[in-house]
Amino acid sequence: MRFRAKIVDFACLNHFGRIINTIAKLAKTCTLRLTVGKLYFILSDKVANGGVSMWCELCQGNFFDEFQMEGVAAEHNEIYLELVPENLSRALKTAQNAKAVKIKLTNKHCPCLRVAVELPSLSSSSRIVTHDIPVGVIPKRLWNDFREPSVPDFDVSIYLPVLKTMKSVVERMKNLSNSIVIEANLSGEMNLKIETDLVSVTTHFKDLGNPPWASEDGCQSSAQDRNLESMAEARIDIRKLQQLLAGQQVNPTKALCNIVSKRIVHFILLHEDVSLQYFIPALA
Amino acid sequence: ERFLCVAPFPSPAVFGRAIYAIARISEEFWFDPIEKGLALRSVNSSRSAYAFVFFSSTFFQHYCWTAASQPCQKQKQLSLPFKLIIKSVLPVFRCANVLERNVEKCSIFTNINGHHITFQLLCRHGVVKTYNLTFQECDPLQAVFAKHMCPNILKVHSRLLADVMIHFPTSQEEVTLAVTPIKVCFKSYTEEDTDFSKTMLTEIHLNPEEFDYFQVGVDSEVTFCLKELRGLLAFSEATSGPVSIHFDVAGKPIAFSVEDRVLEASFILATLSESEKTSAGDHNAGAVASKKPQRNGNAPSTESAKPASPWAKREITSIPRGTKKDATGAGGRAVAEAEDRAALEREFRDEKVRSVPTLLSGVSYFYKYSIFQFHSLFFGAVSCKEKDGVGHTFCSLATASDTEEDSGTVQSSQV
Repeated sequence: MRFRAKIVDFACLNHFGRIINTIAKLAKTCTLRLTVGKLYFILSDKVANGGVSMWCELCQGNFFDEFQMEGVAAEHNEIYLELVPENLSRALKTAQNAKAVKIKLTNKHCPCLRVAVELPSLSSSSRIVTHDIPVGVIPKRLWNDFREPSVPDFDVSIYLPVLKTMKSVVERMKNLSNSIVIEANLSGEMNLKIETDLVSVTTHFKDLGNPPWASEDGCQSSAQDRNLESMAEARIDIRKLQQLLAGQQVNPTKALCNIVSKRIVHFILLHEDVSLQYFIPALA
Repeated sequence: ERFLCVAPFPSPAVFGRAIYAIARISEEFWFDPIEKGLALRSVNSSRSAYAFVFFSSTFFQHYCWTAASQPCQKQKQLSLPFKLIIKSVLPVFRCANVLERNVEKCSIFTNINGHHITFQLLCRHGVVKTYNLTFQECDPLQAVFAKHMCPNILKVHSRLLADVMIHFPTSQEEVTLAVTPIKVCFKSYTEEDTDFSKTMLTEIHLNPEEFDYFQVGVDSEVTFCLKELRGLLAFSEATSGPVSIHFDVAGKPIAFSVEDRVLEASFILATLSESEKTSAGDHNAGAVASKKPQRNGNAPSTESAKPASPWAKREITSIPRGTKKDATGAGGRAVAEAEDRAALEREFRDEKVRSVPTLLSGVSYFYKYSIFQFHSLFFGAVSCKEKDGVGHTFCSLATASDTEEDSGTVQSSQV
């Protein structure tokens, strides 16, 4: 198993750093899956996470100038590592002005991702900062736990409002309640609701638009026959939603959510070169 | 018994930063005005870190300190120095940035009758903020550390040191500085029983060329507490001079200091000795690295250059007090003290030959010795400095008849 990669471009480094920051805000520990062409940050829906799961996918070619990977075996040319994304985020945080950042899988005292940041200095040779981030190698027999989640059979799919607005609304609501109801319909309307003994607050969004989903095999999905005004809703943990919104540092190109009534809310945030899916289950 | 100083802008901000830096070490500090300026000192509870900031009288627009040294007046005397609780002083200098904008002048003076010290901030728009704080009398505190005897001396701009430390997480307690004549590196501290699968380790390799001055007399790896240093780093960004690092081998203290025309600050931190770095139960400290000096039971052979009684020859650094030649006002007392001092010196010599087993004793032996030494310097005389035209009349001339050093003449403070 080998892995070495290098980023030299300033913009790529910053962009990669921002993605890692977002992941670090969403998961304390997660799985990094490396393939020849892509990197994936995966959180599977264990009870410990509160049932949330995450799937973040990026094309390595958009970020790395060099990327060499040899997986566990020829026919399984992939590497699965468990790591604490906060460590990676910290290592990259001070690499803003770096000439180059190299990432390598090593095994000195234990398996580590070694991040070597080459920084400019006043002297003839660069300053080198290395961070050894401990990782766990996930054996092949467990890889099935980390399969890409399928898009659920949703009742309503709707574009999200401007994330900044949504974030500030949810932040204020978080002070009043632990759970929030998201409801939306196929007429582009979404409501965020909280209700406590003392107060109930609803924020209404309209004209959001509903993304067109082509059904895969021609058969009607449950969304198609739906009454346009009828709301699908799910009550979810407000902190999970707030974490998702707070972690977004850059406005995505597309942001939408799929609601399966009373079951789960599936968020999809798409940027040019990275996609993030986040599943928040409904509370009982 | 009175003390006064007046510091116009931008000094209150610098003064405030010094207090904040000291706050990283301990909850209380010694406020110690002397003739040449104002010294602030602090030591942490485990006696492994000592901070010292000295503002020369020229830092202030007006500086006046008096003390009576006649033995008969001892009863009424205000014992200086005194201790203040940092938490009570911090609010005075909160938000150094805001201070710079709003505070035009800061005056500090003591009250003859009560145990009060007053901080008065003259702010813009005629606002005057007055803080009266009580203090505690206490034994003096001073650590003595002979920087010039250190084989390893590095000088570097404070910006670089801050840029290096930023790579360590704020939770990182201890950091190791490793040097050879051609290499220098700061790294996270690890012990043999560190759980590497859970710990992120960071190393920063620098080129000796990046240092303004780079002298490595002996290869060493010293481990010290980063948290305590951060206070000095923050403070040093407010001064223009470089940060000097004086150190020796593991187990001996490391000093970080900054100095400019009107002030100097030093943080002296104990470093882990070799015997502590290995896991408990392993006493073969000497076997760890052949270059490191033996630490258990033998006189350190690598230090043959040093005299048998190291303290006899070492000067007090950075503390512009009188030298040991100063006698106290009472002759009889001086004799007794000299005897005691010799006894302590002997004891200290013996102690030095024994191992230095704990992190605590790194600085504590200085402390024990120097407290005593301090008493003998305690009654140095000063004269009042009057700034022309400033209408403060509290200063009185006081002369000490028996000191060798200072005369009773009035000296005006330089601007």
